Amino acid sequence: MTDWIAFLRRNARLGLIGGIVSLYLAAVGIVLAFSERNVIVFSDDVSLTLGRVMLALPPIGIGYFAARSGGGIPTRLTAGLLAGFVTGLVQGAGLLVASALSPQIRDVLIRITPELISFVSFGLDPVVGAVLGVAICSLLGLAAAAIEVTRAAVRRPIIGGFLAVGILSLAEPFVRPRLQDMDLPNVANFLYQDHGLTVAAAVLAFVAGAAIAVLWKPSRAAINRRMAAADPGQQRMVRWAWALVVIAFLYALPVKIAGPFLTQVLVLVGLYILLGLGLNIVVGFAGLLDLGYVAFYAVGSYLTALLTSPNSSLGIGMSFWVALPIVVLGTAIVGLFIGAPVLRLRGDYLAIVTLGFGEIARLLFLSDALAPWLGGVQGITGIPDIIDSGTYTLPLIGEVSGPAATFYPLLALCAAGAYFAYRLKYARVGRAWNAMREDEDVAQATGVNTTNFKLLAFALGASIGSLGGAVFATHLESVFPGSFVLQVSITTLAVVVLGGMGSIPGVVVGALVLIGLPEMLREFAEFKLLVYGAVLVVVMILRPEGLLPDVGRRRELHEAEEAEEVARTAAPSQAS
Amino acid sequence: MRKRRRLSVVDVLSLGLGLGILAFVVVGVFLTLTESQAPLSPRQWLDLVVFGLAQGSVYALIALGYTLVYGVLFMINFAHGDVFMFGAMTSFFVADALASPDPVTGASFLNSNPLIGMLLTLATAALASMIVAVLLERIAYRPLRRAPRLVPLITAIGASLFISNSVRGLYGEQVKAYPRLDVLQGPWTILGYEILPSHAIVIVSAVILMAVLWWFVEKTKTGRSMRAVSENKDTAALMGINVDRVIATTFAIGGLLAGAAGVLYAIVFNQVSWTIGFLPGIKAFTAAVLGGIGNIIGAMIGGVLLGTMESVAPTLLLSGYGVPSPTQLKDVIAFSILVLVLIFRPSGLLGQPENK
Repeated sequence: MTDWIAFLRRNARLGLIGGIVSLYLAAVGIVLAFSERNVIVFSDDVSLTLGRVMLALPPIGIGYFAARSGGGIPTRLTAGLLAGFVTGLVQGAGLLVASALSPQIRDVLIRITPELISFVSFGLDPVVGAVLGVAICSLLGLAAAAIEVTRAAVRRPIIGGFLAVGILSLAEPFVRPRLQDMDLPNVANFLYQDHGLTVAAAVLAFVAGAAIAVLWKPSRAAINRRMAAADPGQQRMVRWAWALVVIAFLYALPVKIAGPFLTQVLVLVGLYILLGLGLNIVVGFAGLLDLGYVAFYAVGSYLTALLTSPNSSLGIGMSFWVALPIVVLGTAIVGLFIGAPVLRLRGDYLAIVTLGFGEIARLLFLSDALAPWLGGVQGITGIPDIIDSGTYTLPLIGEVSGPAATFYPLLALCAAGAYFAYRLKYARVGRAWNAMREDEDVAQATGVNTTNFKLLAFALGASIGSLGGAVFATHLESVFPGSFVLQVSITTLAVVVLGGMGSIPGVVVGALVLIGLPEMLREFAEFKLLVYGAVLVVVMILRPEGLLPDVGRRRELHEAEEAEEVARTAAPSQAS
Repeated sequence: MRKRRRLSVVDVLSLGLGLGILAFVVVGVFLTLTESQAPLSPRQWLDLVVFGLAQGSVYALIALGYTLVYGVLFMINFAHGDVFMFGAMTSFFVADALASPDPVTGASFLNSNPLIGMLLTLATAALASMIVAVLLERIAYRPLRRAPRLVPLITAIGASLFISNSVRGLYGEQVKAYPRLDVLQGPWTILGYEILPSHAIVIVSAVILMAVLWWFVEKTKTGRSMRAVSENKDTAALMGINVDRVIATTFAIGGLLAGAAGVLYAIVFNQVSWTIGFLPGIKAFTAAVLGGIGNIIGAMIGGVLLGTMESVAPTLLLSGYGVPSPTQLKDVIAFSILVLVLIFRPSGLLGQPENK
């Protein structure tokens, strides 16, 4: 009897959480903002929109989670159904309240508009809409629970199929224009209609995603087994072959595959990869949280502008590659100067002081007092392109211009930065940072000069960040203080944290997800920072080691749990 | 012996920086005060000081939230500035509703009953901020209590971003003009000196709230358990104190004060928006550190001191050097104070140097 009540309470509580999340998504404006974006178009006036998906995600997620309880399959299915049902009830109640108090509530919560209410109630009467919503949410909860209880062999392809549909549909703004450019309008029309997938394309994408999911694990295991069996010479050859394929792909990417629009996004991603690599040295390797990292980006940009632009107060007009070493060295020195006074501060104070430095830097760049040298609000303009006024020819590619012209040098710098960071990580310096991060006192006692290594981390992090600044300045052809706000520091931090602190491939993944993905969802721009904030909180709570964790880091973060685990497994054996 | 020599480079650098700044301040003040054409009249200086006191009391109330939380959890609640902002923004709607004129008489409730109206607004703000602060603790910080130090700090930064952008989505991004009270218009004369009533009200309310807080922490049972938890969580738990509840209470009190600060901020500056959390938040944190973080009296003194310095210092320091538009640099002054305090005296004015 009590079990039954506990079951009810648990799932009702989960459903309540799901419902509150749905109401939040609606009130904050995400549902309505996405209600124009089609995911699958069934006919001219019937389509599944992204806004509808946003309303469906909470019951699906909650149903899936509710089914992860003990008990037999019927119990778990009921749990999912119940959680989905309660989620639907909360959604429906919210809808009824909102429609009853429509004009008043809108004075406060400005996103609860008549359009939103009509969208949520499927254009029907609110009461009918609410009832329909409860039914749909219950079914979604049940369906999610059903997916959860099935065997992995069945679950994996289903999830893979849905993911493939989602990705192909979100990629529409890139893929469709690109297909048109490449003279494949038939393919474009087959795949997309009204900016959403056609039914045929959705089915195809689902099947393809499911097939990949089925084949992925066994084939990867087979490859790993064959690789392990091969002799070292062969292994090296396979790795080189892979590297060549990747290099060829990246070489062809901007002009032959991506097109100018996507390349522009890739340049942005590349800039954040450089910033992330630099911040990763400071935060990930050395464990010093730097919230003023944007200062180094700004210094790199402004130094580049001063040295290369004929319009700057120096008016030298150097070439980019001559200026670059000076920029890197100059920023490293700034890093030393900022680092020196803050070295002895504890972690959290260090974060705030660096934040202070970042803001001081921005306010100084902005101020009238320094305007004669740095241009004040107007900034510095007329920064030349990196290579030959922005147009050059490459073998096999042809003429390169626009964002692609920035892409190649940026790619080279990213590769250099990643290689540099990789070598640092496994060098003596990297081990010293590692020791220092885990326990400063012990590190010092074992002979690590923590002061010098912290300074080194600041200087090296700063110089990699300055590379990003330099490319940024030439890419925009001008620098303004408005580009160097705290947001850049926090976005970079989110990139590093999501990928996994201390992990170099993690930075690339973090930048692709946090910088690249929002570009696919133009409607999303307004909620970008909201999502970054949520990412920081959720990653820290659920998976502090990030998406692609660094092995040592992961161990460190789960130390307490592992110790508990050991204690728990050890205790019974002692007792017996 | 050897260790001392190694550290000396950094020591010399810090000392040099300190002396340089000291010289800069002394020379700046001297130049400003001896200028043939005084930049401000004595009356204007006094006005700057009173304005500084008013904004300083707001900082002090927010700073108390940082200090209380730091006292029990030893973490910087980076999102506290946004808790303050949420209170200010939410109370705007109540104030606005109360200020709407009656269709028959033309008088608004806020102007016919200013005291009740203000208390209602204050209560809304305090309640709103309190709820956010408690939720923040429950959802974001409690799961991380045993995590490495960097982890809750990054969470707090994320939470700050999340709260401010949620408010932007929920309430809209326009700057909202906070209704003004008729009672607070026109100067009051106190001791032969004309003072803006809004400034006087803000200072007095802040002092009352701080006195109540001091009484609460020092004299009540809950206050005593808060102090016990801040001494040692494990021992406190052994003494039968519900540590989780005490921590939640601490966040609630910090939130209450931040919400009240939100209304006072609105009375001084007359407008609120989703962005107002960041700067007052950082400045209040500076104030908390300036007074010695974890120290309640220190937070009050630090807040008032920082508010006054921020209001007076740009003109006093910089106009002597002939810097154009020195008030543009008032945030630079606040951040510089933050950086300097943390570098040279991280334990603050009243704090004990850390024995770690």
